[in-house]
Amino acid sequence: MGRRAFFSGQPANWMSLRQGLLWIFLVGLTGCGTADPPQFGLNRLAMRTGEVNEEHRQQIADILTAMFGTPDDPFMARAEQAANSDYDVSQDAFLATSGLDLAKLQMAAGSVASDRSGTGRGLFREHCVHCHGIGGDGLGPTAPFLNPYPRDYRQGKFKAKSTELAAKPTRDDLYGVLERGIPGTSMPSFKLLPSQEIDALVEYVKYLSLRGQTEVMLVNALFDLDEGEPIPLDQEFLVGEILSPLTATWEEAEEYVIHPPEPPEMEPEESIALGRELFQSAKANCVKCHGTLALGDGQRDDYDEWNRAYVDLKLEPSDIAAMGALPIRNIHPRNLRLGIYRFGRRPLDVYRRIHAGIAGTPMPGVGPATPGAEGTLTPDQIWHLVHYVRSLPYDELSPVGEPPSEVTRERL
Amino acid sequence: MTPAADGFAGHSPFITTFLNIGNYVTQQQHSSWPHWWAVLLCATAFPLIWVGGLVTTHDAGMAVPDWPTTYGYNLFLYPWQSWLFGPWDLFVEHGHRLLGAAVGLITLATACAVWRAETNSLVRGLAIALACLVVFQGVLGGLRVRLDARWLAQLHACVGPAFFALCVTMFVVTSRSWKNMSRTLPSEGSSGINSAASLALLLAYLQIVLGSFVRHASWDMLPALFRATVVLHVVLGIGLAGQASYVAWRVLWRRTSPRPQQAAAIAVVALLAAQLALGVAAWTVNYGLPFGWGQHGWLAGHLVTARGAWQSLLTTAHQANGSLILGTTTLIALFAWRESWNAGRESAPSTAVLNGATS
Ligand code: HEC
Ligand code: HEC
Repeated sequence: MGRRAFFSGQPANWMSLRQGLLWIFLVGLTGCGTADPPQFGLNRLAMRTGEVNEEHRQQIADILTAMFGTPDDPFMARAEQAANSDYDVSQDAFLATSGLDLAKLQMAAGSVASDRSGTGRGLFREHCVHCHGIGGDGLGPTAPFLNPYPRDYRQGKFKAKSTELAAKPTRDDLYGVLERGIPGTSMPSFKLLPSQEIDALVEYVKYLSLRGQTEVMLVNALFDLDEGEPIPLDQEFLVGEILSPLTATWEEAEEYVIHPPEPPEMEPEESIALGRELFQSAKANCVKCHGTLALGDGQRDDYDEWNRAYVDLKLEPSDIAAMGALPIRNIHPRNLRLGIYRFGRRPLDVYRRIHAGIAGTPMPGVGPATPGAEGTLTPDQIWHLVHYVRSLPYDELSPVGEPPSEVTRERL
Repeated sequence: MTPAADGFAGHSPFITTFLNIGNYVTQQQHSSWPHWWAVLLCATAFPLIWVGGLVTTHDAGMAVPDWPTTYGYNLFLYPWQSWLFGPWDLFVEHGHRLLGAAVGLITLATACAVWRAETNSLVRGLAIALACLVVFQGVLGGLRVRLDARWLAQLHACVGPAFFALCVTMFVVTSRSWKNMSRTLPSEGSSGINSAASLALLLAYLQIVLGSFVRHASWDMLPALFRATVVLHVVLGIGLAGQASYVAWRVLWRRTSPRPQQAAAIAVVALLAAQLALGVAAWTVNYGLPFGWGQHGWLAGHLVTARGAWQSLLTTAHQANGSLILGTTTLIALFAWRESWNAGRESAPSTAVLNGATS
């Protein structure tokens, strides 16, 4: 902070004098100086599950800073490029491999400001950090109040995507979720921001994801090392084995976009009736979670992957709190009768959700796991489900007092 | 001496002087100039607080990177077209500076008017305090920009309402009702709400400070701390609503309370009811529905729109309304203190000595 050349147009000595006076006044006023520049924290869950020792933790933190820079300075592009002899890879190589656009990252990173034309900087800290946290770990100050919790980007898992379950979202997917927001959650719509600002934020989300995934890869790499052996710092390892493969998954996302065939040609009522049958069937098994009436009252004691990680550790609530994490929460299947789609409401979106499932959640896909393979259901059947699900908000529920099972049977 | 009165009777000569203005005025020509200046001051300081809140709501504090200049221009000479038709953040930030400067000048004018027309040393002292505080507040705002320090923005946000409360104080002590009070001492004596009103005032300010922690929560604030702050803010908010309503009831129940105090009592209840609703609304437009309401029925489709008109309006209104509540509780408390001092003086034989000490 304060490094910026705001005052460059004016005589330097006079400015520094004035600034000095301001400082003296300020320090006298409060007895404290400015805060340290923000740093990314370590992934404490990964450090714990990987049983990473203090030495390796420090090394991982250093490597990550060398590779990705700091919250103020992505890829250290602004820092004096003090040639770090430990690394035989330059900053530029990390940046180039990441495939990220530095100008966009710089617009999203750093502290909040805007210039005379209204172009903003520090967008992530202005719009996102209080929920998603400085490192995109979903641990911003407001997080404990929010349900679902803000997303932890560091696993690179996203729900509102057009791609297959295991694939990354496309740029358009992330852009879309920022533009639309996620209704029914606290994730806002940013449609009022200029598109280049949303673009910059999308790039920054990718950056934080890539960084978070790199961290986990580094932890995993420790298993191949001998006790006390440092992590290698060469190009072959850091770029070749870690960053490149990760970047590739982001770059090939387009290839995994789900393109459903045309819906079968039949009367809507017919398709809806078939969908209703499938919904209740053991094969699709939607009722297991969503309940026979699709009220979302099936299995309500499951977890999403972010919470499950802590469940699997079998920790006491106090230990979880000590790790700086949030209390474990269940995920609830959607009440499909409300007609609220969090991750896109077009038939195409709902198709993709049912085909691929929802990444990071228990909601499974019923389409083929890989293109060309055979899925639990055929594309036509998925379309029937789409039509049925989309008809649910207009479908009247059982009259009060009658036991639902009877009504359901009657209706089917 | 009535039990409620002992809070002030026989206490420091400063308070005695302050509360004793009426005695002088009865012998002195009353000038209404200071009062009208104070009215203007309150009427401009409140919008300033609103616009300041807008700066925070839109995180526009750094939309102008230099200070006291605006993009190199003298504050008052920045081209008005670029200001009015420029980007929103710049519009808000530069507008806040212009309004701030105007309030600064009005404060100085008020201080001069008071200095010339008033003889009471505490009212004069208040004039000086107001002038100093407005300069201090301006410099704080400037430092917030020069150092790009968000914690200074928060401090600036806490000083603003305190300044407004002092403006209200000036408005009260220059008013005719205040000066006439010693003559119209209610027959049943003090209202006895001295300490209850003080507590309400304290809570009102504490709420503003807590609210500033919610609004200025920095990226590194621990989630648990934020949660504790919000919970405390809500609990104290309800407490304040109860306390202030109790005070208002006591003021209104006794028909003979001074008119301005009665008006403030009605106002504070209305403002508090609005404030509780605004608080829930502000939360909803920023973070979604509270208490899991968002899981049910049509509420489940609630969508937060960042930087939307509702977000901007409701959040800023909640913030600004806090200052109005502080202002009205200040007014109620001032009259209560005054009355309790008057009542104490009626029954305390040492009054003559105290009065003597002030002349
Ligand atoms: C008020 C809190 C809040 C703010 C502010 C916020 N988010 Fe979110 N965000 C959430 C929550 C909660 C979720 C999780 C929703 C879910 O899992 O259903 C989320 C999810 C996401 C996702 C994942 C979407 C997906 O497809 O899975 C992305 C990406 C995201 N946010 C980006 C951002 C960005 C970028 C910003 C700032 C421009 C931002 N968020 C601001 C609360 C917030
Ligand atoms: C193992 C449990 C489970 C099963 C089985 C399951 N779902 Fe889900 N479903 C969920 C959960 C949990 C969510 C909410 C995910 C979230 O909000 O993150 C969900 C959400 C949805 C949504 C809402 C998507 C959106 O954009 O808001 C639809 C539609 C849906 N499921 C349809 C189905 C259909 C159709 C089936 C049967 C083929 C099915 N689900 C089977 C658990 C399940």
